[in-house]
Amino acid sequence: MTEPQITELKSIPKSPSFWKEAWRQFRQRKLAMLSLGFVLFLSIVALFAPAISGSKPIVCEYKGTIYFPMLSYYSPRFEATFLNENFFGNYYDNLKENDPDSWAIWPLHFGDPNRPIDPNEWPDYPRTPQSSAPNSINWFGTDSRATDVFSQMVHGTRTALLVGFVSMGIASVIGITMGGLAGYFGGWTDSLISRLIEVVMCIPTLVLILALIAVINERTIWHMMAVIGATGWTGIARLTRAEFLKLKTMDFVSAARVLGVGHIRIMFKYLLPNALAPVLVPITFGIAAAILIESALSFLGFGPANSPSWGKLLNSGRQNLEDWWLILFPGFAIFLTVLAYNLIGEGLQEATDPRLRDGGSME
Amino acid sequence: MHSRLASNSLRVFLCFSVMFASGCPKAPNYREVLENQEKQEEQLRTLLGEMKEELKSELIAELRSEFADGSISSGAIAASEPEQVFDPPATLDELDQQVTWVDSPVIDSLELYREYLKDHPPEVSVEEALKLKNDSDENNEKILSSLGQLYATDEDADFSTEIVRHLPSEVKSLNPLMQSSTVEGDVVGMIGLGFFSFDWNMDPFAVAEYVDSWQTSEDMRFDKVVIRDDITWSDGTPVSAYDVEFSYHTILDEEIPIPAVRTGMDDILGIKAYDERTFVIFHKHSLATNVWNCNFPIIPKHVYEETIKDDKTMADSDEHIKLEQKPVCGGPYIVKSRSKSEIVLERRDDWYMHNGEQVRRKPHFKTVRFKVITDPNTQLLALNRGDIDDLELQPAQWVNQTTEPEFYRLNTKVRGTQWVYYFFGWNMKTPYFSDLRVRKAMAYAVDYDYILNTLLYGLWPACSSEFHPDSWMGPEEPRAPYKQDLKKAVALLEEAGWKDTDQDGIRDKVVNGKKIPFQFTMLTPNQPWRVDVCNSLSTTLQRIGVKCNVMPTEFTVVQDKTSKHEFQALFGGWGTGTDPWTTENIFKTDEGRNYVQYSNKRVDELFDKAKVELDRDVRAEYYREIDEILWEEQPYCWLFYRGAFYAYNKRLRGYKFSPRGPYHYSPGFDSIWATAQ
Repeated sequence: MTEPQITELKSIPKSPSFWKEAWRQFRQRKLAMLSLGFVLFLSIVALFAPAISGSKPIVCEYKGTIYFPMLSYYSPRFEATFLNENFFGNYYDNLKENDPDSWAIWPLHFGDPNRPIDPNEWPDYPRTPQSSAPNSINWFGTDSRATDVFSQMVHGTRTALLVGFVSMGIASVIGITMGGLAGYFGGWTDSLISRLIEVVMCIPTLVLILALIAVINERTIWHMMAVIGATGWTGIARLTRAEFLKLKTMDFVSAARVLGVGHIRIMFKYLLPNALAPVLVPITFGIAAAILIESALSFLGFGPANSPSWGKLLNSGRQNLEDWWLILFPGFAIFLTVLAYNLIGEGLQEATDPRLRDGGSME
Repeated sequence: MHSRLASNSLRVFLCFSVMFASGCPKAPNYREVLENQEKQEEQLRTLLGEMKEELKSELIAELRSEFADGSISSGAIAASEPEQVFDPPATLDELDQQVTWVDSPVIDSLELYREYLKDHPPEVSVEEALKLKNDSDENNEKILSSLGQLYATDEDADFSTEIVRHLPSEVKSLNPLMQSSTVEGDVVGMIGLGFFSFDWNMDPFAVAEYVDSWQTSEDMRFDKVVIRDDITWSDGTPVSAYDVEFSYHTILDEEIPIPAVRTGMDDILGIKAYDERTFVIFHKHSLATNVWNCNFPIIPKHVYEETIKDDKTMADSDEHIKLEQKPVCGGPYIVKSRSKSEIVLERRDDWYMHNGEQVRRKPHFKTVRFKVITDPNTQLLALNRGDIDDLELQPAQWVNQTTEPEFYRLNTKVRGTQWVYYFFGWNMKTPYFSDLRVRKAMAYAVDYDYILNTLLYGLWPACSSEFHPDSWMGPEEPRAPYKQDLKKAVALLEEAGWKDTDQDGIRDKVVNGKKIPFQFTMLTPNQPWRVDVCNSLSTTLQRIGVKCNVMPTEFTVVQDKTSKHEFQALFGGWGTGTDPWTTENIFKTDEGRNYVQYSNKRVDELFDKAKVELDRDVRAEYYREIDEILWEEQPYCWLFYRGAFYAYNKRLRGYKFSPRGPYHYSPGFDSIWATAQ
């Protein structure tokens, strides 16, 4: 008789967590990774826009103090000293004249997204020409307002990305909360919220934005984002609701309930992480859609008046058809960005859905 | 034709034009309105592509409702006097005994133009002019002087040809009383009838084609008109003075929804027809401006007398729908066919022939076809293909898209200055702009060079007075406009107490114990070039520590806000009127279009004096003084005059620009003819 062979159970390797596995899967998708890289690149451009292209020094020392005039693109506060010294936004000569010991670090590209450069504002730069083709000074050409296109593209990146992130951020918060409540509690809460979702779905975002534009005094992209966010949460809510409906019948939820875990904790700690994967996908697509809406509004001339945007450039291209650079660069930028988000969304979908994922790599 | 034109255009466009309004008090500048609306409609259409049809039309209807406009108030004079009762003398003899008549001009405007051309011979031959490219002021002058000529003999002109005119939007009504925009004015002008008009110098006259004599009383309170006995409606009925009386009463009928032509009628006490050919207009006051109120469209009494009783809308009943399609016309053309996108007019032989005799000149075209094309790019393509014969060009089109042989193959282009000026208006009841120094600082801050030469392609001349320098009330010496000087602007702001005390990059000041930052909103209609002009001010102001938020707003909202004074600054334009009296309600204290709430006792006084003064030279002095005061006080920052840019097919001749463009005066379209070659 031989003794039964007992194989000693060695420590079982911990199976990778869901998100780790998803990331591993995602990484294998070249296009998705490339897109992620592109969006990161855009984020960097957006973050450092005034340092990439602007007419104000990144940092300078003036009369013994260090200043960051480039930040005045965000708030005039950072320019206050120079305002009182009557710089009129012209730094190069004024810095030298008023304080010979001053120094400054300048942006990579000298240009301004809002106005033409005056002659002599920068050594050997003429006044920005009108409707000029790309050249060594104006890399992407200039528009009919004699404003540098490259500069507008760089500063417009911020608008494009912000619109996507903020509006979908708002939409996700509302959508997940609403969907979660409806799915978890069910019953009349569910009916109520589902009806609300249907009502909101009927509101056309564009019309709402147009109405808002008529009312608001100081129109900014933030209002637009708020509206896109406040109307774009329905898809997310429906998906969350469906996931919650499915998950709440699972054993681990019953177990938690038996242990006396509170509703809120169950919803956000137990259910949400498990429901998040399918919800992330429409959010990503939503970002792409929001960028398109912003571009469309600017294209139609309903965007904020004085902030550079890709859609606005496209619009001026439509009015000056022979200036191809006004259409090519922003058109390409919008196309690539929206494509990138869609590819990320698709990658995410494949990486998180076991049916798609394993179906694709069955051995 | 003159009169027809005048009748509608006077009311519709004559006088002012704010950003939107031009023409008579309270009446919007319909051309502007229309342009605006079209832009917005176009945008809306694209935008609302997926919306339901009803909703779409509702929105557009809302935009359009801006046309609807009431009548003007007759101002201070009317308010201070008891209401007059219209009690005309029973017979003409009775009236003649009371009144001393003075003959007023009865003019054939085409003859007037012919006279004018005698002193203005062509600078170059037609062949040369057609070869020229219009790329300088000189060439523009040459082309205009040569192609603006009339035909020497009838053989030179092709009277049997067709002209295809462009319309930028659909025509809503062909009823002369129902016209509400220049588009309708252009069409109705050719089929309608009116007894008064004015020439390119804005001098009024009675139209010789229809009027035998026009007499005005010495105190200008009565106008007696005797019309010719050889005018007929297109159904054969003779035109009579009773038609005039009837039209007047119809226009005043509150139950009839008349959009535009009612303006100015308030100052008329009444109109009475004494016989078939004689009518007298009784004015409320003795004013030099009365003549401008005489000008209204005439409709046939025998056609409408009964139908109006059944249908006060003049649009809904079967008869009225039929009349919309085939109106009974008094003018030289009659409607042959009408659809949404095309209206075809045909020459009326019984207009210029009467009982087998030619009694008027033969109209220049056998047919006039109006084509509706809304998209600017399509318009230009149609012109280049020869599908349309005339087109108003956008400044950018003038500069960029009409310089190639493709354009010059069939067409040429000309331009002229219109007396339509644009301005930044400062609301004087705000803590910022109540101070003269601040308004002057703003005038020094504007980058005129950039706005005029870059944004507007150097095509539109600078404006530095309320009245155009070429007009009789304009400044005697051309005034030097402001030049950008940021140092002066800053000095003025600091003097006025606006300093950046809290180091936040924006100037501030303590007003009524509260510190407020210099941060204001610039209201402007939502058109790209307007927004660009405002943005240029905004970026300049940013450089001197003032925050200006540009707010491109839907046209209707702009109108609403400005009339309620709910704005801080505004970018707009006014079309100069035929008479400077039309500016009265822009600058007189508390008047309807005094959006910026300007108030100056001396100016009020001068306006009152000028209104009742009958001598033009004395009036000019008053208006010049007003202009001086306004310029000194800068309630507006005057910027530039808008140009008129037109493209014409090379076979067309005889066009001339007035301060109101090539059409909206006399002879206007009547002088245009096609060469026989």
